[in-house]
Amino acid sequence: MIRLENVHFQYGDENENNGALHDINLEIPSGQAVLFCGESGCGKTTITRLINGLIPHFYEGRLTGKIRVDGQEIQSQELYDTAKIVGTVFQNPRSQFFNVDTRSEVAFGLENQGIREAEILKRVNQTVTEFQMESLMDRSIFELSGGEKQKIACACVSTSSPEVFVLDEPSANLDVHSMKLLHNMILRWKQQGKTIVIAEHRLAYIWNLIDRVIFLESGKIAKDMQPAEFLKLSETELHSMGLRSNNEQKISKMHKATDIKNIEFKDITFGYKKGKQILDISKIQIPEHEITAIIGHNGLGKSTFLRCICGLEKKCKTRMIKNGAMIKRKKCLAECFLVMQDVNHQLFTESVLDEVLISMEQEDKEKAQEILAELDLLEYAGRHPISLSGGQKQRVAVATAIASERDILLFDEPTSGLDYKHMLQVSAIFQKLKAKGKTIIVVTHDMEFIEAISANIIELNTNSVKNYAQKEFREEVDCNEKEKLPAEVI
Amino acid sequence: MEVLSSRKQRRGIGLDPRTTIVLLLMVAVFVLGGAGGNELIWARIILACVPVVLLLTSNNKLKCIVFVLVYLLGYFLQFYVLGHLTGILNSLMLATAGMITSFLPGLMMGYYAVSTTTVSEFVAAMERIHMPEQVIIPLSVMFRFFPTVVEEAGSINDAMRMRGIAMGGKHPGKMLEYRLIPIMTCSVKIGEELSAASLTRGLGAPVKRTNICKIGFGLWDILFLGLSICIVIYWVLILIGVRV
Repeated sequence: MIRLENVHFQYGDENENNGALHDINLEIPSGQAVLFCGESGCGKTTITRLINGLIPHFYEGRLTGKIRVDGQEIQSQELYDTAKIVGTVFQNPRSQFFNVDTRSEVAFGLENQGIREAEILKRVNQTVTEFQMESLMDRSIFELSGGEKQKIACACVSTSSPEVFVLDEPSANLDVHSMKLLHNMILRWKQQGKTIVIAEHRLAYIWNLIDRVIFLESGKIAKDMQPAEFLKLSETELHSMGLRSNNEQKISKMHKATDIKNIEFKDITFGYKKGKQILDISKIQIPEHEITAIIGHNGLGKSTFLRCICGLEKKCKTRMIKNGAMIKRKKCLAECFLVMQDVNHQLFTESVLDEVLISMEQEDKEKAQEILAELDLLEYAGRHPISLSGGQKQRVAVATAIASERDILLFDEPTSGLDYKHMLQVSAIFQKLKAKGKTIIVVTHDMEFIEAISANIIELNTNSVKNYAQKEFREEVDCNEKEKLPAEVI
Repeated sequence: MEVLSSRKQRRGIGLDPRTTIVLLLMVAVFVLGGAGGNELIWARIILACVPVVLLLTSNNKLKCIVFVLVYLLGYFLQFYVLGHLTGILNSLMLATAGMITSFLPGLMMGYYAVSTTTVSEFVAAMERIHMPEQVIIPLSVMFRFFPTVVEEAGSINDAMRMRGIAMGGKHPGKMLEYRLIPIMTCSVKIGEELSAASLTRGLGAPVKRTNICKIGFGLWDILFLGLSICIVIYWVLILIGVRV
C-alpha cells in the first residue's frame, strides 16, 4: 500500500536537522496499523507528511527518493488527488477545520470532490450514525471541547473513506475518556481493513490496536518491531528509548501533604450563557507550597477554572483566602502566574533576558541572569523567544513567573505533546519550584506526569471537587473503569 | 466569537445570502453614502427600516431595540440639540450625531448579514453568481480565520494583564509591539496549519464543488430585491436628468 524507497528529507536549509529523515526504506502492506514513535524531532511527523503529500507540495525542503501510495507516486501527484486515497487527522484541533458549523465540515471533503449532493448527504448521515455523534451536528466548532473536535476531525476523514488513514499525534490534547473514543474510531477503521499510520507519543491507548511499531532515532529507522517483539517491551525499556508508558493508569505512589496549610478559593462560578453554569464550586482548598494536579474530562472548564482562580475572568467573583486574609479578584492577579498551554501567547519581547527583566518590580540584570541560569536558559539570554523550542519557551515563561515573585504558579497542560524525556524535564522544573516554596496548581490529563511530580489530585466536576491522595485515586479509577467500559465501546 | 453564524436553521424570514448582500450594498450606498441627495430621502428612510424589520424577525429583538433607541437618540441630537450649541461642542455633536445616523443602519444590516449566514451558505451564494474560486476561497478562509485571531488576541491580552503590562503601566511605548508580535506568530502558525489541513482534504481540485446547503429565493427575497431595483431605477433616472 505504502512504499518509501531511499527517502532523504531535510526542511529548509542544510543545518536544520530537526525532523529530517535519512535513508528510509519501508513498505507498509494494505490493512496494517503502524505506529511511528520516537523523541520529539525524530522525524515521525515528517513521515506522515510524506504520505499525505504535504511534503513536497506544501512544506518545502530537500527531498530525494520515492514515495508511493496505492501505486501512485506522491511527489508527482496533485494534493487533491492524494486526498482521495489518504485522509489525515492532525494534532491541533484548533486549526484543522475549514467551516464553522460541524455538518458542513463533515461534508467538506466530499464537496471538494464534486460528488452528487444526495450521495454526500447519505454518506454524512451514515458516518454520523456510525460514530454516534448526532448531538454534535449543526453546532459551532468554537463551542466544542478538544475531545469533541477531534471526534469531528476523525468523522471528516471517515466520510471520504480513503484507503489510508494518517494520524499525527491525535491525542495530544485529549483526556483519558476522549482517548478511548479515539481508540474506538481507529478500531473501526481497522475492522474495515484500512491502512493506518499513527505518529504518537502517548502509546497506551493504541497499544492493543497496532500491528507494527517503528521506532525512529534522529531521522533513521532504529527498530522495526512486530507484535511478538514490541508486546514484550517493559515500561523501563520503553522509558530508556525515550518513550512514554504503554500502561494507562499507573498512579501508585502514596503522597499526602503533611502539616497542611491551605489556600482556599471561594465561589468559583462561571457560565458562558445565562442560566447555564459551567463551573459552580463554592469552596476548594489547595495545599500551600505543594503541587496539586487538577483532573477532569475535556470540556469541563478546567482552563476556565485556572482563569477564575488567577483573577483573569472578570465575570467570576472568586476570592482567595491565604494566611487568613481575604484577597479580592484584582489582587489575585498579582499573586498568581498562569503558564498558558500555548506559551507563544505570553512572550512579547526581543530577547529572553528582556522577557525576564520586564517582569521584575525593579529591573535587576544580575538577578535576572541568576534566574535564567537556574532554568538552564543563560546561554539563550540574547536569543529571540520565538526562535526557541517549545520546551525552552515554556521555561522562559516559568522564568518570568519567578522574576515577578508570584507565590502561586498555575500551569495549563504543560506536557501536552511532550515525549518522555521532555516530560521529565518539566517535572524537574516543578520540583525546583516546589523547593523554592511555590504553590503549584497544574491542570493536566497526563497521568504519567502526575506520577512523576507526585502531586495531590483534585478531580473537578461541574459543581463539586473531590480531593484524593494518589493511592485512593487509583482505587477509585479502577472501579470506575469497570463500570464505564462496556457502555463506551461502540 | 464568530464572524459568520454556525447555525444551519434559517431564522426569521430567512433571506437568501445574495439578497442580504444586495441589501447590504443598498444600505451602504444610499444611507451611508447618501447617494441621490434630497430627492431620495424616502428611499433612505425605507432602507434604514429594512435592518430593523429583519432583526426583529430573527430573534434579535433586544439588539434591535437598542439599535433603534441609539438611532433615535442620534436623530434627536442632530435636529433638536444641535441648533442650541456653538463652537467646539457644536462640531463635536455634529460629528457624533452624523456618525450615528449614517453609520448605524449599515452596521445593523451588516450585523444581520453575518449573524444569519453560515460560511457554506456564503460560499454557495458566491458560486451561484459565478464568482471565481480565487475570490471565494480566500474570502471564506478569512471568515474562518478572523474569529481564531480574535481568540488569540484575547489570550495575549490576558497574558499581558497577568504580567502587569498595561496602559499606564510599565513600557507604555511598547504596548503595540508587545501585542502585535505574539498575534503575528500565532496567526502565521494557525494559518499554515489551516491551509495544510484543507489541502489534505482536497480543496482546490479542478472539479465543480458540490455544496450541500440549500439556498434559493423566496417571497421575501423577491419583495426586497424588487424594492432595491425600484430605488436604483429611480436613482438612475435622477442621474440622467429625467424628472419623475
